[in-house]
Amino acid sequence: MVVVLAVVVIGGLVLLVRRNRGGTRTGRGGPEGAGPGFPDRPLGGRRVSPALMSRGRIEVCGLRKEYRGVRAVDDLSFTVEPGRVTGFLGPNGAGKTTTLRMLLDLVEPTAGTATIGGVRYADLDQPIRRVGAVLEAGAAHRDRTGRNHLRVVCQSAGIPLARADEVLELVGLGVAANRTFRGYSLGMRQRLGVAAALLGDPQVLILDEPANGLDPEGIRWMRDLLRTLAMQGRTILVSSHLLGEMEQLADDLVIIAAGRLAAQGTVASVIGSMTYLSRTLVRTPELEKLAAVLGRDAVVTLAGDGDAYITGADAVAIGDAALRAGVVIHQLVTQLPDLEAAFLELTAGKAAIR
Amino acid sequence: MTALLDSAALDQAGDTGTTLVRLIRAEFMKIRTTDTGWLFLTGFIVFTAIALTINGFGHHYQLYPQHGLVSPAQAVAQAAQARTPAGVAAMAASMMTSGQRIAVMFALLLGVLVVTSEFANQTAAVTFVTVPRRATVIMAKVAAAACCGALFWLVATVLAAVATPLFLYSQHVSTSLAGWMVARSVLLNLLAFVAWGVFGLGLGAVLRSQLVAVIAAIAVYAGSFGTELIFTALYNVFHQGWMLGAPVIGPAVASEVMTTSGPAFPYAPPGWVGGVIIIGYTVALVAGGIALTKRRDVI
Repeated sequence: MVVVLAVVVIGGLVLLVRRNRGGTRTGRGGPEGAGPGFPDRPLGGRRVSPALMSRGRIEVCGLRKEYRGVRAVDDLSFTVEPGRVTGFLGPNGAGKTTTLRMLLDLVEPTAGTATIGGVRYADLDQPIRRVGAVLEAGAAHRDRTGRNHLRVVCQSAGIPLARADEVLELVGLGVAANRTFRGYSLGMRQRLGVAAALLGDPQVLILDEPANGLDPEGIRWMRDLLRTLAMQGRTILVSSHLLGEMEQLADDLVIIAAGRLAAQGTVASVIGSMTYLSRTLVRTPELEKLAAVLGRDAVVTLAGDGDAYITGADAVAIGDAALRAGVVIHQLVTQLPDLEAAFLELTAGKAAIR
Repeated sequence: MTALLDSAALDQAGDTGTTLVRLIRAEFMKIRTTDTGWLFLTGFIVFTAIALTINGFGHHYQLYPQHGLVSPAQAVAQAAQARTPAGVAAMAASMMTSGQRIAVMFALLLGVLVVTSEFANQTAAVTFVTVPRRATVIMAKVAAAACCGALFWLVATVLAAVATPLFLYSQHVSTSLAGWMVARSVLLNLLAFVAWGVFGLGLGAVLRSQLVAVIAAIAVYAGSFGTELIFTALYNVFHQGWMLGAPVIGPAVASEVMTTSGPAFPYAPPGWVGGVIIIGYTVALVAGGIALTKRRDVI
């Protein structure tokens, strides 16, 4: 009798707990942008001193990770400088998340090193005061309120619990502090993740797809926040699929494909390295005559309204040829590739490896 | 360090305890700030009340056997046995540990959830990024699971300490709850609750999957009692004397051998053997859990 009753009580409890965990959203999510009810507090603070900035340099050297014989990351090396926003790009399965997790000591590298200020993450004194990380938007207990989620982190790290309220206000979640995580929209979850990363006022921020699920206003908020943090001298490493957004946000880029480095440098230098992708828009009433005097490498594509795109010859060569042939040119514009074109070219054929 | 985000809070001192102490407090905060811990506590109180009631009825019929169920001679003998000093002390000890066999499963399952909920809710990465010393994190969880086990024991013991004297008084028998037999049972009950809480935690740390770990915990606990059947069958074939005491290798049987004042089953080894075995399993699981947690990738 006792056994039967006990099994019923315990079974009921386990079912209740599982049902609570697996529940659907309650629709209490509210606005997810920085709209009404989500006041954005401007960041205060001052710049990081040069001495501290040097402690914020991320160095990845010969990093490799193998999973059952498959190389998820393969001999990857790059550096991320303080005071700049560095975009970390790559197709799905390129190894971005694995790399970030190796940087944070969550995944053990098969070979190579990943350090922050020359020190492995695991060896940092008070790591949360040096590095803040946003890994997954869904990384909180569904039954716990946003405030309590942050307080647990504060308690673990020895940070005053009042700091949780400060960062909640900072990310515009003050009004939703006492809602359970279950009721948060994806955008609010991203903000909570950012709040957790800022708890220790870190020099280095590592963010894995932080803009996922954010509405346009939320994306702008994230961009402004990261730019401000970088201007204060912090190191910002952010992975994203949103190439247009990254082109606006990032100072530097690290592009990987199939676990290997495809390109690294400033946004301008990475795109600039793809000049063979640039084309020239020409408007002329004598297109046939112009085409005839261009070299054999030039390819002319009609664009309508008398316009044509020319590749294989730059604007200088086209202008010189037109002058020599007496061809009238009404418009001559060089069009550089955008980040999307450069990214697709750099990672072409490598996205489907995994 | 200068607060770069104009923080008043960061200028104040936080929890200045050692990492382990901070983490233990954080573990309690985790349990306190979700429904799970409260649901378990409520369920446990309800269960203990029911177990006390049913146990009380059982002992009532020992003292006042129903003539329709046993022969008059048996009834007199049974009642006389129950009213001896030893019988009354055993009754008091039984009341003070009412429902123990099942009650420890609350500690076991909560121990499982303390660690597996980190993986089920994907908070393990946050936990290990906050404190990369994984062995310390698991040790804090061990301490939290042990304390939860002790809390369950305290709740059960307080409820029983209220109900038992009332029951004995209502049955017109009297004994001291401070007697050695009762105190021994209550203290061994504490050991069982703590051991099962930590056992669950170790199992959860080894298995990580919440569903698998909960099923495994229930299977290990309930399945342990099957060892008696297995070794009885083996004894019938091989006639080796040690086989009659061997069921103690089942964790739940070992726990029962430890907490039972007399033999838990015919040819049962002494209580300390059960204690060594259940603690041995617990230590092995925790050690395995720590080793695996340190080695595994958190993805």
